Amino acid sequence: MIYDMTPLQWLSHVIFHPFEGYEDMRWKKAGSLKISFVIVFFLFLAQMISARYGGFAFNMRAYSDIFNVVPILVQSVAYYATWVVANWSLCTLLDGEGNMRRIAIYTAYALVPFIVCSFISTGISYFLTLDESIWTTTISTLGLAWSGVMLVFGMKACHQYSFTKTIISMILTVVGMLLILCLLVLVMSLFQQVWLFILTIYTEILYRVRS
Amino acid sequence: MTSMNFKKTLCMLVALIMTVCTFTTVVNAEDPYTSYSYNAWSVALPSQNGYIVKDTITGADMGLDQLSDPNSPLFISEDEPATLTDAKDFFLSPNNEFFIVDTGNNRILRTDINFNLIACYKNFTGGKVVEEIKDAEGNVIESIPATTLKSPYGIFVDEDDIMYIADRDNQRIIKCGFDCEIITEYVRPETELYDSVSFYCTKVLVDAAKNVYVICPAVNKGAIMFAPSGSFMGYYGANRVEVTAEVIRNKLWRKFASEEQIAGMINITPVEYANFDVDHEGFIYTVTEVADVSTDAVKKLNPAGYNILETTTNAADISFGDQQSITYSGATTATRLTDVAVGENGIINILDYTTGRVFQYDKECSLLFIFGCDQEAQNGGFDNPNAVECYGENIYVLDGRNNDVTVYEETLFGGLVHEAVDMFNEGLYEDSLDLWREVLKRDGNYNMAYLAIGRALLNQDNYDEAMKYFKLAYNAEDYDRAFEAERQDLLRDNFTLIVIVLVLLVIAWFVVKQLQKRGIIPNNLIKRGIKWVADKIVDLVKKIISNINKKGGSK
Repeated sequence: MIYDMTPLQWLSHVIFHPFEGYEDMRWKKAGSLKISFVIVFFLFLAQMISARYGGFAFNMRAYSDIFNVVPILVQSVAYYATWVVANWSLCTLLDGEGNMRRIAIYTAYALVPFIVCSFISTGISYFLTLDESIWTTTISTLGLAWSGVMLVFGMKACHQYSFTKTIISMILTVVGMLLILCLLVLVMSLFQQVWLFILTIYTEILYRVRS
Repeated sequence: MTSMNFKKTLCMLVALIMTVCTFTTVVNAEDPYTSYSYNAWSVALPSQNGYIVKDTITGADMGLDQLSDPNSPLFISEDEPATLTDAKDFFLSPNNEFFIVDTGNNRILRTDINFNLIACYKNFTGGKVVEEIKDAEGNVIESIPATTLKSPYGIFVDEDDIMYIADRDNQRIIKCGFDCEIITEYVRPETELYDSVSFYCTKVLVDAAKNVYVICPAVNKGAIMFAPSGSFMGYYGANRVEVTAEVIRNKLWRKFASEEQIAGMINITPVEYANFDVDHEGFIYTVTEVADVSTDAVKKLNPAGYNILETTTNAADISFGDQQSITYSGATTATRLTDVAVGENGIINILDYTTGRVFQYDKECSLLFIFGCDQEAQNGGFDNPNAVECYGENIYVLDGRNNDVTVYEETLFGGLVHEAVDMFNEGLYEDSLDLWREVLKRDGNYNMAYLAIGRALLNQDNYDEAMKYFKLAYNAEDYDRAFEAERQDLLRDNFTLIVIVLVLLVIAWFVVKQLQKRGIIPNNLIKRGIKWVADKIVDLVKKIISNINKKGGSK
């Protein structure tokens, strides 16, 4: 087989060869960061569409009048970013060979089945009744499982780990993500306090100046 | 000069119009409260009034001054109060007479349906319960049979005009006729099963077999049940414990704690219910008054004492009272359901003590109306709403501090809804269609109307419209039924077309593949073809977008 493919062909190669696709890609140093960012955007889009669209009986909350985009943004883009950062910071310590660029690309490529299946299950929910809801759940579960398998092998290829070490590093990455998010929340509340402090001083000065 | 004059006249005119306007608003403001209802998302929305205040009846209106008038046949004594005092309960008997428990004055007032006094019962003879008269040191001087009531709290009257009075401070239930001759006395059961020291009974109820059910606030095992003879039969229909974080924590601690520690812990017990009522079919409805308890807040009990509200209604999740407690000016108002009255057609009226509101539900437990308020200075507002009763189109609420009975009358809108709901619950969806449309004209937020119209349209095989209405009613199950029928119709009508298109597509795919293999169509050509189609689509989309923009601009 001649591995002389365009970036998009590499993507489909990786998706349909989950076990050795990533190794091939690593060998040829292929994979595009641009495509990765497009995929992450599509992840956001998929989450948004599965929240806002779908057959009425399947997704009643899509028809309620309240919608907040922030949780969806966090669920897609923020989770992806923290995953990449946490995995990089952890695996550099655990003798991983992947650099940040590679982690970002491999993770994003692994998300494609999940995104596609989420689009499909939202789409077919327009044509199904509640009794047939097994189809939508099957498809979305299938996408999730596929993405999970791809992520494991992607990380394995990325860092050149053994299978067990990959799993352990992924679990630790999730813990790292939690830590990062926790710290972020702390920092944000701290900045809020600082901002409030500055605002109070400003108001105080303003009163003094006026009087 | 003329312009000045003109301005003056204009000012006068405006002032005049404004005064007239304020007058008209005063005239129109006949309801003391704005009515509201909950939508599918449990958000309170303004609604039409289902009931408005018709009358407020005080003791004087009932003719209680006859009791102290020596010339009247109802004369009791010169100093008999002519008002109600902290009345705790009233009851509408099967023979359509009201029995008001005038707790503060220790008497039972019997009136007709329009609250004209018929009789007053104060002294009851033939009882075994003794009253101990004590001297200053607390020694019992003598014991005499208790002939008077001592803060009676509840009453029930059966169809044979036998009164059952919960004589709270005498710790007994009196069963007697209108001659005030006590037939049976129900007192504290002398059995191991009854572990409370006292028998301060507050409410009483009698079923068709003349078994007596008694509520004692100190007993949380359910209602105390007596046989007609007066013997203790057991407990009936206890509430469950609401599962809160505290309950779970205590349960976990109990696994590890030593026996002494367990003894020191608080026993978590269910909350006793506050009141009950029996409907025409003999089912007993109970309400629990404790604030913020949602488990078993309202129950419909079968003869075995099990709650059948969830099994007999189609409602997915039933909730009663206000949807969330509101904190306003530092005070939290949480729903406290104090009384229940079940009317004809199984309509359930629940009285909320905190807000003075009556919540009316149909027999499927869907909310119909909310009315009443706690602004006691106003007509139709309550201070201590203690009991609710219903008769025909009227709802009666007894207030223990205002010492009056407020009569609510069904409005035109209320009548429409009731008629429509009756038909709806009988399954006559199509017959109720016009009524529901009329309801919607008056209140576009009335959720049940959308559901009902949707069902009617579904019965008429008008699936498309039905789906629209079910969407508005925010009801997934019914929408799904309509959708399934609609889809089946679509498939059936277009089956040939679909099959032909599918077969053609498959054939085309095979042909293209074969040609590709033989090299008759080069891949290049296919790519160009796809690109051409894609370009066309992009152009079309651009055109549409620019059109929309133009339209938006013109607006």
